Amino acid sequence: MDLIRTLLSRCVALFRGQRLDDDLDEELRSHIQLATEENLQRGMSQEEARTAALRAFGGVTQTRESYRARRGLPFLEVLWSDLRFAARQLWKSPGFTLTTALTLAIGIGMNTAVFSMMDAVVLRPLAVPDMSRVVIVAEEHGRGGDDYQQVALGNYQDWKQQSRSFEDLAVRSDASMSLTGAGEALHVQAGLTSANFFQVMRTNALLGRVYEDRECQPGHNTVAVLSYAFWQKHFGRDRAVLGRSINLDGQAYTVIGVMPKSMQYPSISEVFLPLAPTAQQRENRVAHDYLVVGRLRRGVSVDQSQEELRVISERLAKAYPASNLGWSAKVEPLLDGINGPLTPLYYRLILAATGFVLLVVCANVANLQFVRGISRRPEIAVRTALGAGRGRLLRHLLTENLVLGGIGAAGGLVLAAICMHLCKIAMPAQIAKYISGWSNISLNGRALAFSLLLAMAAGLISGLLPALKALRLNLVDQLKAGSRTTSASRETHRLRDLFSVAQISFSVLLVIGAALMCKGMWSMLHVADVYQPKQILTFTVDLPPSRYATDERRAAWFNDSLEKLRALPGVTRAEITTALPHGQDGWSDDFRIENRPLLPGKFQSAMRLSVTGGYFDALHIPGIAGRNFSRSDTINTQPVAIVSRGFAAKYFSGGSPIGHRIQMGPAGSPQEPWVRIVGVVDDVNYLWVDRDVEPAVYLNAVQMPPAGTIYVVNTGGDPMALVAGVHQAMAALDPAIPLDGVQTYEKYVTVELTGLIYAAVMLTIDALIALLLAAIGIFGVMANMVAERTQEIGVRIALGARPEVVFAMILRRAALLTGIGVAVGTVLAVGLARLSANLLFGVRPDDPAVFVSIIAAITVIALLVSWGPARRAASVDPIRALRTE
Amino acid sequence: MGEMGESKSDVLQGTLDLMVLKTLETMGPLHGYGIARRIEQVSGDTLSLNQGTIYPALLRLEQRGWIKSEWGTSETNRRAKFYSLSRIGRKQIETATENWERVATTMARFLAPSS
Repeated sequence: MDLIRTLLSRCVALFRGQRLDDDLDEELRSHIQLATEENLQRGMSQEEARTAALRAFGGVTQTRESYRARRGLPFLEVLWSDLRFAARQLWKSPGFTLTTALTLAIGIGMNTAVFSMMDAVVLRPLAVPDMSRVVIVAEEHGRGGDDYQQVALGNYQDWKQQSRSFEDLAVRSDASMSLTGAGEALHVQAGLTSANFFQVMRTNALLGRVYEDRECQPGHNTVAVLSYAFWQKHFGRDRAVLGRSINLDGQAYTVIGVMPKSMQYPSISEVFLPLAPTAQQRENRVAHDYLVVGRLRRGVSVDQSQEELRVISERLAKAYPASNLGWSAKVEPLLDGINGPLTPLYYRLILAATGFVLLVVCANVANLQFVRGISRRPEIAVRTALGAGRGRLLRHLLTENLVLGGIGAAGGLVLAAICMHLCKIAMPAQIAKYISGWSNISLNGRALAFSLLLAMAAGLISGLLPALKALRLNLVDQLKAGSRTTSASRETHRLRDLFSVAQISFSVLLVIGAALMCKGMWSMLHVADVYQPKQILTFTVDLPPSRYATDERRAAWFNDSLEKLRALPGVTRAEITTALPHGQDGWSDDFRIENRPLLPGKFQSAMRLSVTGGYFDALHIPGIAGRNFSRSDTINTQPVAIVSRGFAAKYFSGGSPIGHRIQMGPAGSPQEPWVRIVGVVDDVNYLWVDRDVEPAVYLNAVQMPPAGTIYVVNTGGDPMALVAGVHQAMAALDPAIPLDGVQTYEKYVTVELTGLIYAAVMLTIDALIALLLAAIGIFGVMANMVAERTQEIGVRIALGARPEVVFAMILRRAALLTGIGVAVGTVLAVGLARLSANLLFGVRPDDPAVFVSIIAAITVIALLVSWGPARRAASVDPIRALRTE
Repeated sequence: MGEMGESKSDVLQGTLDLMVLKTLETMGPLHGYGIARRIEQVSGDTLSLNQGTIYPALLRLEQRGWIKSEWGTSETNRRAKFYSLSRIGRKQIETATENWERVATTMARFLAPSS
């Protein structure tokens, strides 16, 4: 209590220093006067009375000092005076201050921006309390590996009832729906969830309420909860939206609530609807169509829950061998599942690269500090002579660096804000919606704390060595030499050389890394060039199941729409498919070959596509054997399929698959027909992330029409010129069906690669900054060396050294530093490339062209910037150089 | 934070505080000079007190909230800062006195010729 009161009063005193000083002075004055008066009364003379009073008092100054020490917080007062001193010193050398602060601002700003984005997207993408306890439960095939799948409802029900590891398990699925009745038909992404989904996520409605269990029953499920973004975009944040009716796929839903902005899981869901399975669906163990999210009980680990589910799965496999044999459950933290493996990887890579940039920045600032330290020697010598302690001097120098770091951090925050704004506006909306937390990106308190931390770290790293160096000087020599600047010691030179070598190494590393990544990105961007993507228009259509429930209706729609499109001027072909090469729409399905029973628990799978016959010609996929789909294949004839070359090789060991019949879908799904293989086509990669091409099965879209498709429209010229015509033609058929993602195939591929492009661009920026700083760094070192050695060079020239020799001597020095730096950097880069080639697609570690050209370029740059200082050294006039001695 | 400024003949830590408090209790509100003089007079010549050391002590007591200060006029019509006991200060005298007596009796027992 006393302590707190004392501290409080000290803090108050901190801000009233001047007034309290005056107060004390007056009190002490009055004390002396009172004492003097009393002494006078005792009969002393005026002089004696005052002297006696002062003697009785003891030291006035001492009293004042000890009083002050007790009054405020001396530590803070000293810090404050140090800060003011540092600010004054920096103000006196504006050139140095500006350069350093700007350099630091670049380093800190880049890091803060990258950190903020990573923080929002990777570290805490969802504002879910106790996020570490939220897990995704998937099912996986017994063959292991990373082949996991969605969950069948029957299994989910059993997990939920039999497991003890979870507070609750919720289930959800996604659905594409069309919103009608409010202007043009609109494609809406819905999340169908069980009522307890909101409890698992520990979230509640911002407005209104979320739905309850009784509303997750067939027939009672006509309520909807809007996501914040959807509410904002389509209802202008109108609070009166509650109670309104919206029409989704021809069904009316009453809006009962709006989710908070922070709720961004699943990030693509614009509307939440109750998942209301029928009793039959509840029992289904075959349709692996659902995602399960759970919240672990406190104290239960992921591994423990995994083990419990494994036991339950084994039990289920025994009870239902037909459907469950070979299936097991897989538990993983939701955080890992949200972003997939790539986004965090990219961010870590960029953060590491940006961290290297900060190190290069620190090295540059340290180099500047060394130079400044030399010119400051007289000042430091005088202050030492006047009694300043080394500790105090060191504190001054470090405070100065921290102030510099602080200014750098302030500039860095501005830079970070700009950088993040650019990143946000450059991100295509159709990708942003898949990134949870993207809209949360902002400069928040954590970013601020991070930048301050960086500022302190950078200040200390760049300042400590130069400051220690500056202090270790021979006082007597320094004072004897007067105010003339003397040259730096050998040791200082060695340190500065080390710094520029490190800078060159880091920039070689970063530039090679960026170049490899850019090259990889470039080849990925052009991977689809064989398909002439510039001339192809693509868009997707999802037929609402309510109105297009039967195969016949869907087939009719596809026929009509393709005919309309083909009739448009400028269109050479119009086809449909369910996935495009190098896209992300491809999906893998199980199948069985007729008369070749699989052992229980064994599976075969292949990419499953539904296409029209002209698709292969539209994308120039050559046929190899058999025939294409023809007009005689109709909805009433034997369903036929075409398989890829890889499929034939893998499942028919090189023999012809033609004539064999296969059945798609998981085991025990009788609704899938047997289809006869009639042709083989060349391999196509439908998953750009996979380097191995998966075997593929093409079903005939006319015979087995899918609900969601991608239209492929070939044109002779610019596909985007056709957009208006396409919209009109499709609306004439059914105005309630929205067209999504209308863009060229080239754009489609680019959008799929957004993450890679982002990573490559950021890395390139990092690399260029590092290179620029390294160039400035080596220029500084060389220029300084020449300036310090002017007299020596003058003597050399006076003794007959030819200018070319001097020139070569200086350049040799630069070449040595660069050579070591490049060598170290190259070794690091080879290691990094080896490492990242396993992680990043398109990066090849053995790319001698990249290595050689970049090493050459950096060496040339280093020698070019050293050219100036070397020329100056060669043109030193010996008479003038010696006269300044 | 160390006790700065209490030099050579300074009394034990806490003792000066108690003396000041006790002085204020008997004399009522008093300025710094008066407190210093009173302590000198009461202790006779046994204590050579630098009058200045009274001020850090007064500050310490004020920071703890045991005494209050106020500018006023002395009997000789001079402006001076007058200190007076606060409510907590009064209570503090009791505990401090008890403590001090306990220390004193313990010391006395140690110093008494052993029987």
